[in-house]
Amino acid sequence: MERLLLTKKKTIRVNEDTWIVLFEERIDFSPGQFVMLETPKLVRKPFVLGYWEDHTAISVQVKGKGTKWIVEEAEKIKGHGPLGNGFEKPGKGLLIISPTCLTMAEALRKKMNVDVLVGSRTPFQIPLEHETAVGDEEFLRKLSSTGEYDWYLVSGSRGMEKVCWEHLRGKEVYFSLEEYMGCGIGACKSCAVFTKEGVKHVCTDGPIFRGDELCWS
Amino acid sequence: MLELKPPLVLLSGPAGFGEYLKLMDHRYVGGVLLKTVTLHPKEGNPTPRMADSDFYVINRIGLENPGIHAFVENVPELPVPMIASLGGDSFEEYLEVARVFKKVADRFHAVEFNFSCPNVKEGGLSIVKNAEEWKKLLNTLRKELPDSFLIAKVGVEGIFVEDAAEFVMKTGWDGITLVNTVRGLHFEKDTMILGGLSGPVLKPIALRAVYEVKKRFPELFVIASGGVYSVKDAEEFLKVGADVIGVGSALFKDPGVVEEIGKYLLEVKR
Repeated sequence: MERLLLTKKKTIRVNEDTWIVLFEERIDFSPGQFVMLETPKLVRKPFVLGYWEDHTAISVQVKGKGTKWIVEEAEKIKGHGPLGNGFEKPGKGLLIISPTCLTMAEALRKKMNVDVLVGSRTPFQIPLEHETAVGDEEFLRKLSSTGEYDWYLVSGSRGMEKVCWEHLRGKEVYFSLEEYMGCGIGACKSCAVFTKEGVKHVCTDGPIFRGDELCWS
Repeated sequence: MLELKPPLVLLSGPAGFGEYLKLMDHRYVGGVLLKTVTLHPKEGNPTPRMADSDFYVINRIGLENPGIHAFVENVPELPVPMIASLGGDSFEEYLEVARVFKKVADRFHAVEFNFSCPNVKEGGLSIVKNAEEWKKLLNTLRKELPDSFLIAKVGVEGIFVEDAAEFVMKTGWDGITLVNTVRGLHFEKDTMILGGLSGPVLKPIALRAVYEVKKRFPELFVIASGGVYSVKDAEEFLKVGADVIGVGSALFKDPGVVEEIGKYLLEVKR
């Protein structure tokens, strides 16, 4: 983990509210790890690391002032990372993701044998070489007709996580969780996850957890 | 006397058990006030546990901690002075936590008792509002830990800080941390987060508290806690008499600010 100063190279719009942000600097990270980045808000925000066009990149869903600043105004961004644990699995896997995880998918594809299904609520504005689904109906249809894989990794909204957990019951499913983080390094305890083994934290124990480890109620 | 160089501490809660030290030059950190430990382990509150805005951070962590027994078996080893923070839900719990802590007391430069956590059911707020009971507790804890540098952390709820400072002085305690977070309510979309408010909005409240206490009790050692985000903030707390500057939620924004404030304090307090 280091203190970072990242130089924004360019942004690419993916759909209505999500952008890919490319950086000049290289970061040595494992797929699944994330960085905490400073915005005009008072608390740094976590972004999962990945690649795009052979650059270190993150995907950003614009939700408010901080994320808007990263996409539209920022030139240099302070932060720290890489944080969390990397993910590596043998066998053939399927990534089921929202557009905010496209760059992570590129990082995973470099190291693992995976197919990708991207579910978006709004139409894509760039061509993607992955399987895509726009809207809940199409997403559910494609999710139901996926072939058999050795494992699955889901990274998206709470709703997407729950639907996938229902549809993939009995299979080896992992979830890359998102939770509000104050520090990203295990100090503040804000990103709690209630598991069958007690409280864990997205930042230090995750961000990726096995589905059957989590308390879903 | 508690001498920290620089007179700067990372505050209990945000600083965890010293994790942030990995991100900063230790020469500029005077000490770490560890996360509050209670008698029994606590799982903490359900999520969401924190939110932020332009002016404040609000948290409802709920004192998640491993409990005093696990803590004393596994005291962190940090490259800077450590101050322990102990809490409880009742008179008896505070006393028991102090008794267990005694085994490792000599590894700490000081011990702070948290009498003001707003995020758990009791958490000290109910104790300070009963002045007689609280004075009795201060006396009892002083006798239990006769050799420790004892600091009471109080907020601005349940008691006037000037009165709290007087009790702390009269019961032979060494210092006071002013202030804890203030109870607030924040909406995150439709979710209500009822928790402790910190950040820049807390600074005028903390400045006033430190000013009033130091004016009345100049000999009382004061750790200033509340809205320190810059060298200018630290400068203002020094002007009202703070002995040590605490940095808390600013760590979430930019841990680098600690080095800036630490350098400044080393210069002016040389």
